[in-house]
Amino acid sequence: MSPRRILQLAFLVLVLVYPLLAGNSPVYGRLGALVLLAAIGASAWNIVGGYAGQVSVGHSVFFGVGAYSAVVVYTHLGWPPIAGAPLGIAISVGIAAVIGVPTLRLSGHYFSMATIAVAELVRVLSSTSEFLGGAQGLSGPPVPRSVLDLSFISATPYYYIFLAVLVFLLGLTRWIEGARMGFYLRAIKDSERAARSLGVSAGRYKLYAYMLSAAFTALAGSLYLTMFGFVDPESGFGILISVKMLVMAALGGAGQLFGPLVGALILVPLEELSNSLLGGRGAGLTFVVYGAIIVIIARFLPSGLLSLFERRPSRRDPPAKSTAVSGHAD
Amino acid sequence: MSMTLLQVVVSGLLLGAVYALFSSGLTLIWGMMNVVNFAHGDFVMLGMYTAVVIWTALGGGPWASVPVAAILIATLGVVSYFLLVRHIMKGPMLAQILGTFGLALFLRYAAFWTFGANFRTLPDTLIGHSFVLGGIRFEGSRLLAGVVGLAVTLLLHLILTRTAVGSRMLAVSEDATAAQLMGIRPQRMQALAWALAGAATGIAGALIATFFYTSPTVGETLAIVAFVTVSFGGFGSVLGALVAGLIIGVVESLSAYLIGPVYKDVIVYVLFVLVLWFRPQGLMGKA
Amino acid sequence: MHKTSRRTIVAGAALAVLGLATAAGAQDTVKIGAVYPLSGNSASAGEYSRMAMEVGVDVINNGNADLAKIMPLAKGGGLPGLKGAKIQLIFADNQGTPAAGQNQTLRLITEEKVAAVLGAYQSGITLTASAIAERYGIPFLTPESVAANLTERGFKWFFRTTPVAIDFARAYSAFLKEQKAAGRKVDSVAIVHENTEYGNSVASVIAEVFGKDGLPVTQNISYSANSTDVQPQVLQLKEKNPDVLIFISYTSDAILYAKTMKELNWKPGVMIADDAGFNDPSFVKTMASSVEGLVNRSAFAGGKPGTVPYIFNELYKKKSGGADLDDVSARGLEGFLVMADAINRAGSTDPAKIRDALKATDLKADQMVPGYDGVKFDDKGQNTLGSSLVTQMRGGQYLAIWPKARATADVILPYKGW
Repeated sequence: MSPRRILQLAFLVLVLVYPLLAGNSPVYGRLGALVLLAAIGASAWNIVGGYAGQVSVGHSVFFGVGAYSAVVVYTHLGWPPIAGAPLGIAISVGIAAVIGVPTLRLSGHYFSMATIAVAELVRVLSSTSEFLGGAQGLSGPPVPRSVLDLSFISATPYYYIFLAVLVFLLGLTRWIEGARMGFYLRAIKDSERAARSLGVSAGRYKLYAYMLSAAFTALAGSLYLTMFGFVDPESGFGILISVKMLVMAALGGAGQLFGPLVGALILVPLEELSNSLLGGRGAGLTFVVYGAIIVIIARFLPSGLLSLFERRPSRRDPPAKSTAVSGHAD
Repeated sequence: MSMTLLQVVVSGLLLGAVYALFSSGLTLIWGMMNVVNFAHGDFVMLGMYTAVVIWTALGGGPWASVPVAAILIATLGVVSYFLLVRHIMKGPMLAQILGTFGLALFLRYAAFWTFGANFRTLPDTLIGHSFVLGGIRFEGSRLLAGVVGLAVTLLLHLILTRTAVGSRMLAVSEDATAAQLMGIRPQRMQALAWALAGAATGIAGALIATFFYTSPTVGETLAIVAFVTVSFGGFGSVLGALVAGLIIGVVESLSAYLIGPVYKDVIVYVLFVLVLWFRPQGLMGKA
Repeated sequence: MHKTSRRTIVAGAALAVLGLATAAGAQDTVKIGAVYPLSGNSASAGEYSRMAMEVGVDVINNGNADLAKIMPLAKGGGLPGLKGAKIQLIFADNQGTPAAGQNQTLRLITEEKVAAVLGAYQSGITLTASAIAERYGIPFLTPESVAANLTERGFKWFFRTTPVAIDFARAYSAFLKEQKAAGRKVDSVAIVHENTEYGNSVASVIAEVFGKDGLPVTQNISYSANSTDVQPQVLQLKEKNPDVLIFISYTSDAILYAKTMKELNWKPGVMIADDAGFNDPSFVKTMASSVEGLVNRSAFAGGKPGTVPYIFNELYKKKSGGADLDDVSARGLEGFLVMADAINRAGSTDPAKIRDALKATDLKADQMVPGYDGVKFDDKGQNTLGSSLVTQMRGGQYLAIWPKARATADVILPYKGW
């Protein structure tokens, strides 16, 4: 077995038994669950942002829809929050379909800006909606009524639920990678013009990627709600959520299967631990460090950390300039 | 009633001119190098702190703080270009977003660490009182900011379109390789662009500080306004940013007054998204 | 002779060992956790609260002669109930997000092993953070979060010392009715509030109470927090020209509104600003001269020399570089003192004992830093004796003007502004 294989196997085992290793420390157990949840969100983003090359900076709209759907079915219907997940997914996919069609026509930065605007729009609107709890937000069950409420003291159940979802998502992504859709997405990412000229209906595949990405992001939002029990416009739709998803995927390697997971593995503990070590003194040094690290990685490893481990020379993505002159992606 | 409406429109125009001013730097960079600077709001914030420091340490007003802020932020821009932007430009767009976002966090929390979380304001006696002209009330500091905003934005536009240096910069933005063949050094022009953009942004910050509160996180609020203004106006077009800024200022003001303040953001975003869908290059971007 | 001396030696040795044991016991520290915003938009409030609480820790651990005359715990030498154990207050940054608040609370409880937690300023964060404490059976006390639902969850470990929105609304209502009876024009009331959890909840409660009390609310304007410009709103107000204006906003918007009203030269007869932003020392320092006569509510309003509020304020000023205690920091300090008192009476760091001690809390008015009538918790964990003073900005300081029994100055109306 090659060293690479051994390393991969060891990593796999580590992932499977992590909660047992962290058993005595609820903080570290919880950290594991948080990493996985972030990885789900970032991996979902990766489908449209990494593989299809459509850099959305407004994914929080799907995350928030997932979180709110969960808390709304609890607040207004008394159901366990997770029952709202299918609803959240359906609504998110719908939103993706509706705004995707006109927005995906835009190229590069314009697309990103439009996604920001839509997410901000939804955030402001949600803060004015009584049904959604307005600016105060809504909270889930204060004490769990049954195991279906998915409200656990220990982080271990969350860990394995999130792990299962992540494995499914990555498996699906891997399958897409090898299937026709993956091939088309790579072509579109490389050069949309060329892809179209070859008969690839770029619009349709970008939309599929966007909708799929939206679905899993919504699921991440619903799972977030079961764990934290509260959501308001800022924690559901805030721009920081979108940016974090993006940063994690990009840091690890966008368009790579495990890129988002690697990004999450680094950034989530970094944020938690530096807050624990430095934050208490109120210096905000946490984020100075965080920012500096992101800058350094962007500067020296623009394709993400995983590019360090590429066996074949990594094909650098074409500079963003080529599609920029017009507003269209043509 | 109509007098008040006129007042609303005027205040919207003045506000819009300020939006235009601090957006002009962003659009210049976007146009020239296709880089969206996610740290832009924090550049403005640092310009604001420059004004605060100059006031608290030296008792100086805008006459001092505006030039100092211009120089400081111009320098920051050039340094950012050489240390970071120049390298991430070669990479995918994602790396640019990543890099400038990291820069934003770094600057924001460095300011937080240095200045603390407290809100600072400059005394309103700094620029002088408001005066009434034709029934409309003009407030000194906003008027100054609006007028200077207009002037600087137009100046920037003239530099780009009417001077030799400007045409060299535009040549680089069109086609860096071709420009190089003609003897223009792209990196120098790009650095110059960052310097100009930084100066405009610094001036904007120093002026805004005279009527707005300063805090480390104020950049977040302003950045989104800048992005909307720039995309609305059309990438690369400084005049577009000016027109867009004015329109957004008036629309915001009118919506807040007529419909309700909470919805003013909604109106602006809806307008923005509609424009992008139907005219993706913005108002004055190249088609 | 031998027997006695041997016994004396043994007795002496035993006493020495006991003495050492007690001394060793006296080296114990009691850890209390505090989750507050130390970065992000509310960081200045978090910072002030932290400084205030640290003053409290210092007084208990090292004593203060003036306070010791009134407060039993100010004699110094730690907590007598735990044989002089000193208090260690461990702060964690909630970063302004419910997730971070929850994670940090978990860390304080499971890693730092704190005996109790204080926090978390923002109601949404207090909600999630206290849920963790409830699960782990650790007392959680909020000195300042006012959302009504916090005490409606049926929690057994949650306590709140601050009065809530309905108390403020009643205070304002009583104050305004008094003014009306004294001949002042109170025919129209406009409420302007930011569209946040704080702004909305307080505004709706005020509107409700005023409605029941017959005070006419003619305008209810909600705006987005952290606005870049509020001229249109002020113009709207100028047009309708209400007699009474009630503002509910955090610091940044408070500053903006005060400036804009001056710019547009409009002021109502009575201007009331609800706490938060308007009590923030940053606001007071920069805008005081523009808001002379502003009516506010504050749990804290100074106090005569020799009283608990006065002495603590003097101590705080040294730490804060001149800023006075304000509504938020004073309430934070009080929350800490209540917790320290409870732990002291519990005589142990056992959470259940602390909780029982909290339930039995009965502190009198003269022990209070803010203007509460005392501290006594009902079975939902809410302090029933919390109260607010109505204050007025006069010459750069807020002075208590209502209720008359606690007033240190007369009411001067109409609103002067600048």
